[in-house]
Amino acid sequence: MSYNSSYSPNYYSMDDILATQERIPCKFLQKVPRMGRLNPSTEENDLKEGTDLELPLWLAIDCSMGRQPVVAPELPKIFKENYREILKADANAVDLHKFSLYFYELGSYVKGFDHRQEVHNILLHTFITRFRLIMDLANNSESDPSIQQKLDMLERRIYAAGHAAASKLNKWLLESGAQLEAAVLVTNHKKRKRVDDDLIGWN
Amino acid sequence: MDPDEVEFWAEKTPIQIIPSFNSQTMFLIGGDIGPFRASIPTRVPLWMAIHLKKQQQCKIIPPDWLDVEILTNVKEQEKDNKSFVKMPSEHYMVEAKLILGNAADDIPRVDEIRTIIKDIWDIRMSKLRSSMDLMIKNSSMYAAVDNLTLMEMNSIRPILPNALDQIYRMKTIKRGLTGRTQGTSILSHSKSTVSFNS
Amino acid sequence: MFAEKACNLIKELSRNEGVLPPYNMDLVKEVCTEIKLLDEQNKSDGAAVANESGIANYSNELYPTLRVGVAAVKRNVRCLMAYHYNRLRTLRTMRWEFGSVLPPDVKANLNSNEIEWFSKYSRSLTKYMMSLGDEGLNLGVNLRPPKSLYIEVRCLVDYGKYELSDGTVLLLKKDSRHFLPRSECEELITQGVFQHIV
Repeated sequence: MSYNSSYSPNYYSMDDILATQERIPCKFLQKVPRMGRLNPSTEENDLKEGTDLELPLWLAIDCSMGRQPVVAPELPKIFKENYREILKADANAVDLHKFSLYFYELGSYVKGFDHRQEVHNILLHTFITRFRLIMDLANNSESDPSIQQKLDMLERRIYAAGHAAASKLNKWLLESGAQLEAAVLVTNHKKRKRVDDDLIGWN
Repeated sequence: MDPDEVEFWAEKTPIQIIPSFNSQTMFLIGGDIGPFRASIPTRVPLWMAIHLKKQQQCKIIPPDWLDVEILTNVKEQEKDNKSFVKMPSEHYMVEAKLILGNAADDIPRVDEIRTIIKDIWDIRMSKLRSSMDLMIKNSSMYAAVDNLTLMEMNSIRPILPNALDQIYRMKTIKRGLTGRTQGTSILSHSKSTVSFNS
Repeated sequence: MFAEKACNLIKELSRNEGVLPPYNMDLVKEVCTEIKLLDEQNKSDGAAVANESGIANYSNELYPTLRVGVAAVKRNVRCLMAYHYNRLRTLRTMRWEFGSVLPPDVKANLNSNEIEWFSKYSRSLTKYMMSLGDEGLNLGVNLRPPKSLYIEVRCLVDYGKYELSDGTVLLLKKDSRHFLPRSECEELITQGVFQHIV
């Protein structure tokens, strides 16, 4: 049910919450009393001005806004020149999950720290180049499920939606009768029960 | 939509049958059907034709286009043409599947027809995939594709609209998400205020 | 780092799409405690940072601390809200798929508020469905286009007695086969009691 509509995050969106948990490098522009605990490499009570630290995106964004920012965020390395060149060379060959599970979302958030639009461009370039890859994967019903591991979250969602539609079409093409089926949650629930029962049987 | 929903639409297509029974006119919500006189050809919706055939109460007369010569011609045109050829029927795939699947004995050269239809389908679907990829690569705002049948159009949902939505999201977020509400600010955007950079 | 526990609540839910893990009362309580502590700290920092008209004095040395503290509270609250909201979303889907009675092992994972919500939702839904048309309309059936009036089903579990709409009572035992009107079987098929045999 969740895959049929496009990813469109809101306040309650779990994927957006997880995407904003990703860490990015930041420099503290001021001393922050009593927040020394944020820095695991020091025992001090206060966080010194000039400390470099990796902060989760939600904190980095909040503290970098406004007239008096507390931190200055930096582009994560996966959006810097070296990695961008890898993507420009052959975006299809890249294991995007290794870059980040939330590559596109993270990129969309950190775009703001890049004044030259390079991140904006590379996000579009990567997505557009890899679309064919995702489409082919979705249409090929015997594809190795481990291929999904190389996709980021957004690509996985699109792949899942495409794959579900392609399966239904293939089923329709091959079958002569329309079979009514149990609801998805019900089927999953039963599968899990069977696994649990088997495990109990072991003991 | 699901393929079986597309099939449901296609089943309204009228087709000729030769009933083997007599019956009064039936007054259905969709229209009147009949009366039925044995051995006299009548037009009925496809769903009824298949239903009657399954009960062995009629013989199905294949539509004109369900013929080896005509279909071979279509296939050649489809191969030679870069764009999509107009199909002899809006729902050729559904009609072929239902008729060939349930009334194979009423169709001459059934296996040849089956092969040609499958070939036509494969050629068109392959063109469709390339067309989708091209649309995404050029980040076009629209693509004019004529002569697609509903089942073919349906096959690109939801992958194409979803991908286009994400491209739109990425393009519209120029300055980075601010996470002002600790959610995206894209929610307040209206499409008419956006201009695309190509 | 702040809000790590809160984020773990979300991680727990996202690991199991479509399944409700047991309501994590302990973790929720810990998050609430973190929020309370942060909030107290923020209030006292806020009092120090604000001037007489309540506007923040940026050059006050506690200003950054306040910023971090407030951000942490907002994050915790967001995770907590999303945790509860997404659980309810799944619960709502379950009403449509399992029916108005949840399997006991699913129910065991809910907290008492969620159980109450479910029964209220179920009642609302039933009330709404009964208000449609003359005798009410069951929105959980006829989800797929019909193919035939009667269908063959195999019973997958020992369900026991089941009353049809005409009053006939069936005894549904595991592996028993039945030939029944489609409309009678749909709900049991959705719930996984019957398997449709084509």
